[in-house]
Amino acid sequence: MNMNNNNYASGNQRGQHYGENPSFQQGNNAPGNPGGQEGHKDEKSGLLEKIQQLGQTNVPQLSQDSKIHCLTIVGQIEGHLQLPPQNKTTKYEHLIPQIVAIEQNQNIEGLLVILNTVGGDVEAGLAISEMLASLSKPTVSLVLGGGHSIGVPIAVACDYSFIAETATMTIHPVRLTGLVIGVPQTFEYLDKMQDRVINFVTRNSNISEEDFKELMFAKGNLTRDIGTNVVGSEASDFGLIDEVGGVGQALKKLNELIELNKDKNEGIIQ
Amino acid sequence: MILYTAMPQELVYQTDPQEYSQQLMVSYNGIPVLAERTEDHNYRVVRVMSTDPSHFLEAGCTPGTKLPLV
Repeated sequence: MNMNNNNYASGNQRGQHYGENPSFQQGNNAPGNPGGQEGHKDEKSGLLEKIQQLGQTNVPQLSQDSKIHCLTIVGQIEGHLQLPPQNKTTKYEHLIPQIVAIEQNQNIEGLLVILNTVGGDVEAGLAISEMLASLSKPTVSLVLGGGHSIGVPIAVACDYSFIAETATMTIHPVRLTGLVIGVPQTFEYLDKMQDRVINFVTRNSNISEEDFKELMFAKGNLTRDIGTNVVGSEASDFGLIDEVGGVGQALKKLNELIELNKDKNEGIIQ
Repeated sequence: MILYTAMPQELVYQTDPQEYSQQLMVSYNGIPVLAERTEDHNYRVVRVMSTDPSHFLEAGCTPGTKLPLV
């Protein structure tokens, strides 16, 4: 059985594998403009415009390191198979080093996770969830649009979670695409995988295992499928998500958690 | 051509392997961006992969801008 295809997504997509492209360093773009003279002229007039508008050449910028970083989880969570480029995907090999960097960087004090995902690979999704849950810095998640399937553990992995009023989360059983061997063990394996998702969600949110399983195996809510689609306040009523809100509330909460975290750290030093 | 099949569309019409090599990760002044190759052998920014919100205000690498090759 191919373990790479444990798809937990509300859409059904397939992909092919291809090698990782090496990244290369892009040089400074300022003087080497290939546009030649015209490009040079544009640059000059842009500079003049700035001087005329602001009386200076430097446009005010955000401070070099913002203390809150933002992780966006969009499209499909990509696992061991690379999806065709027209798919919008979140790749764990991109996210995990970023989370490590956030943990290590002294200047970063908090992390905002924004989700609008259809779900995807179980193991990749759980990997991201575990990374977020074990991050020592305050984390707040915000579900916008949709946080379906494996997006659910990612949303609840954060210290505090928000959901937009119109956002939805689909909770349904794990399914398998690709080659499946028709033996009872396959079912047991799938059941075990499902338990990993259920355990993670119940450990990191206020929903009970019974409630979550009930939502997961409910009939008649989704067309051609078992499961439930919870919208905005329903998710917070079940205790899955902490609060209904938007980016303003999420950042306010994150700043509160950062202050609390600071006080705690100072207490240890004294 | 009219297809009547239970096979998913993406299995019937599989992606040309060449399409995969169109996109690659590039570092633009230290900002990780996902870029795609254009017909004139330039690179166009598809997505900024950083978590730093200030990188999204950087005019040189907003999605859609062409990255000049130096």
